Amino acid sequence: MFTALLVALPLIIGQHWQVNLLVFTLMYAGLAAAWNLLGGYTGYPALGHGAFFGIGAYAMAIGTNHIGVGAGYRSFLLVLPIALATGVAVLPIARLLMRTRAATFALLSITVMFMVQTFAYNLRSLTHGSEGISVPLAPFPATTFERPFYYAMAALLALTLLVCWAVRTSKLGLSLNAVRDDEDRARGLGVQTELVKLVAFALSAGLTAGFGAVWAYYVTFVFPGFAIDPLLSLGVILMAFLGGRRTLWGPVVGAALIVPAQQYFAYRYGASHLYLVAYAALFLLVIYLLPDGIIPSIAARLTRLTRLTTRCAHTPRAHIADSIADKDSITDKGERV
Amino acid sequence: MSLSGDFADFADPAKKGYQLWAATVNAKGGLHGRKVVLKIADDASNPTQVVTNYQNLITASHVDLVFGPFSSLLTIPAATIASRFGYAFIEPSGAGPAVFALHLHDLFLAQPAPVVSSGDAFANYILSLPAGQRPQTAAYPSADDPFTAPIVTRVRQRLEGAGIKTVYSQTYAAETVDLAPVVSRLVAGKPDLIVSGTGGPDAVAEVKGMAQAHWSPKFLFFTGGPNAPGFASKVGTANAEGIFSTGDWFPGAKRPGNAEFVKAYVAKYGGTAAGIDPAAAEAYACGQLLELVAQRTGKIDNASIIAALHQGTWPTVEGDLSWDADGAPQGADLVVQWAGGQLQPVYPPEQAVTSPVAKPSWAS
Amino acid sequence: MHLLVQATIVGILIGGVYALLASGQTMIYGVTRTINFAQAIFAILSAYLTYTLFGALGLDPLLSVLVLVPAMFVVGAAMYMVLIRPLARSSGELALIVLYAIGIGIQGLLDLVYKTNTRLITPSYTDLSWTVAGFQIPAVRFFACLLAVAVLGVLHVIRLRTKLGRALRATAENPVAARLLGVDVERTSALGMGLGVATAGAAGAVFGMIFPFNGNTQYDLLSKLLSIGVLGGMASMPGTIVAAVVLGVIESVVAAEISPDWSAFSFLVVLFCVLSVRPQGLFGQRLRGAL
Repeated sequence: MFTALLVALPLIIGQHWQVNLLVFTLMYAGLAAAWNLLGGYTGYPALGHGAFFGIGAYAMAIGTNHIGVGAGYRSFLLVLPIALATGVAVLPIARLLMRTRAATFALLSITVMFMVQTFAYNLRSLTHGSEGISVPLAPFPATTFERPFYYAMAALLALTLLVCWAVRTSKLGLSLNAVRDDEDRARGLGVQTELVKLVAFALSAGLTAGFGAVWAYYVTFVFPGFAIDPLLSLGVILMAFLGGRRTLWGPVVGAALIVPAQQYFAYRYGASHLYLVAYAALFLLVIYLLPDGIIPSIAARLTRLTRLTTRCAHTPRAHIADSIADKDSITDKGERV
Repeated sequence: MSLSGDFADFADPAKKGYQLWAATVNAKGGLHGRKVVLKIADDASNPTQVVTNYQNLITASHVDLVFGPFSSLLTIPAATIASRFGYAFIEPSGAGPAVFALHLHDLFLAQPAPVVSSGDAFANYILSLPAGQRPQTAAYPSADDPFTAPIVTRVRQRLEGAGIKTVYSQTYAAETVDLAPVVSRLVAGKPDLIVSGTGGPDAVAEVKGMAQAHWSPKFLFFTGGPNAPGFASKVGTANAEGIFSTGDWFPGAKRPGNAEFVKAYVAKYGGTAAGIDPAAAEAYACGQLLELVAQRTGKIDNASIIAALHQGTWPTVEGDLSWDADGAPQGADLVVQWAGGQLQPVYPPEQAVTSPVAKPSWAS
Repeated sequence: MHLLVQATIVGILIGGVYALLASGQTMIYGVTRTINFAQAIFAILSAYLTYTLFGALGLDPLLSVLVLVPAMFVVGAAMYMVLIRPLARSSGELALIVLYAIGIGIQGLLDLVYKTNTRLITPSYTDLSWTVAGFQIPAVRFFACLLAVAVLGVLHVIRLRTKLGRALRATAENPVAARLLGVDVERTSALGMGLGVATAGAAGAVFGMIFPFNGNTQYDLLSKLLSIGVLGGMASMPGTIVAAVVLGVIESVVAAEISPDWSAFSFLVVLFCVLSVRPQGLFGQRLRGAL
């Protein structure tokens, strides 16, 4: 049903500005879902996904400028190879990063982002440094210009959700859960923690790069400060939190609520600087009123209802609620021995 | 416009320039009898938001005309959207080389010269000096950013070609404000001339650093910073004395509508004529161009504006403007200098109001 | 050689200011297990207040610290009681995100009140400098570093010699055990957060007379703070101070001797090298089971 909706949406609402908002909404939904693989399921607070987004964006810009795959629809052919290549290329760094945990990991992931940004500024022959690099304009007709980008984002989002779903329902997902709850015990029990963490990292980073590639083609201009942006990571995390991290659809719900609101606030009220304040206030409201995110909060409420009425504890929803209930078990993770 | 984020600092005067023009033209009865209503959207200095804003302005709010945002980095995504929908794109500040490399037919920069050539007048001035007064050595620190580094590189190449020895040439990350290490290199190298590629805060930091070291070169040029009005109050009037910069506009310029602009600006926003940022004039000139097109052709639809501006010259507060096919203006900037607490154009002589003064030494 | 020493001096002086700001972050991490993403914006807030006090009353930035430190202490403690304490039962990440949101909100308010053009506080000694053995020592940086050392000294005494200090250290070490030993953990955490934000108040006051700043400066500052935190080992006070000075010196020396383009990067490289050998940072203790 979701797929059908995705396909039909731009045909129903054909306004350019609406499709444009949808393009960014799908992008953020996908980014949040990709982040969730590492930040949600595995419980590693990654704050530097802007780095992988930027790598994807630059790969697209450099690919279309230098390799000459040709403009038009063929540029989209680059997206998957970029995602794959990024997923593989980050493995050595992932290995180093995944040796640390909690706050240290969070900070190191930011550090990686700033290193990538420095490279983007300073490797001028490749990236054109601070002048930025233009992606050749897509030759699509103006009347439906946004649609190819919309479908590219939609396809990538579907792929991301498919990966998330596959991870959740496989042994990999169970292993990641175990890592999140107590990594040492998981290893003691024979879970190959190193390997599953690396897989989660690579999937998360690769998918993020894919979105960066499409973004670069759509926005047409890549600049280090824009493509590798600390605020991007944080926005994505907010969306995952709002919708409910560790759930499949939470990031999508979060993005669907925040992105249009944010873009609209900035467009409408930005002139008074109030939008930063409004954004922060919204952020705080969500966290204090819905600390687990929207989907788990609703699910928990529904479960309570079902339990009361049917006394049936083993609905799939109850499973979600349970996984939230054991969230507290990681609270003391950062504690010293 | 960027009303928050990295560019907000610089974009504010441009916003005032737009608003002033709208107020002025409406007081005269509007454009063709239609009242001008400005719809200003904040792009948060972010390209994603710029794309959304121009999409919204054109396809949701159905505005009749659009102007450019602040900074070349945001002008590029904005201009491609305007062009896709056939809108004329008169813009106040996207002067970087990448903007004109888009080869957009509907883009027009309301400044006398593109950014890369804005140091040319200063290079001309240095090369016009008699051999005995010319600097022998030069240093070129610059922020790594498309509005500064290309200017500095171009000046350096010309001065090197004329035999002026380069003792230092480095770039630093664009947002750097701790210039103490750079200044210690400059002080150690003791060049006669420093050509600095700066955006504002870094120029202040560089001057303060040299003042604290009690040393200054004979010639000190900044691409940005000293040409904005608050400069002398930040570094101290005595320290500003003799500093060169580049300018596309100054309050006393004898250009069409300039006296009117200055008067109206001071009346609306207070302060003094010397306190007006050139960015305000650039934005105001965008509006003037529209008015001129309306007067000359009797039309203000986008196609007519684009066709009209590609012909002839257009007198504005930014001077007589004309463009090449990519929208790059074909005029030249001025050399400006702080003298007696005032920023004055000093070169080329035909546009100067006074001649350059010698830079006082800071050695105490 | 002369240049190297000069760059080192400048680096140490500015490293002192970073140390002050980062020590507050370390203290907050100790009691809340959360990185204070709003630490940088509190410094900027304090810089703006100093700017206003200087402009309106002519109050010297070094004296305005006497007003700002208590004020920011109250702000920090109140922030803990109202916003952070209710989150104590959920994970540390949630508090981190709350603090980030506070940072954005305060920046929005500052942009509203002060607009976004950069400010610089210029006391009478703004251009003063001394020449010692041929090396330049700018007065503002020297005073700033002096103030940082003084505040850090006071902090040190509080931590080691007072009852509050013992409670702070116990809470940072193990909150459960501290509670068993009769420490009022919540009150201690509130006071700890107050102290941490107060150091941001002191650091911000002097920061504003060294560098031009606006609300957006918080990101640059924050990225420095985070790097310092990791290198120092998050919860270690000596580690933080050493890391801050190392950051100041490396950035300054690389900028002067090699290229300013790579100065920030060079510190990140050092950080990476240290962490690949010691994931817990220079002075950090091992997290439970972490490799």
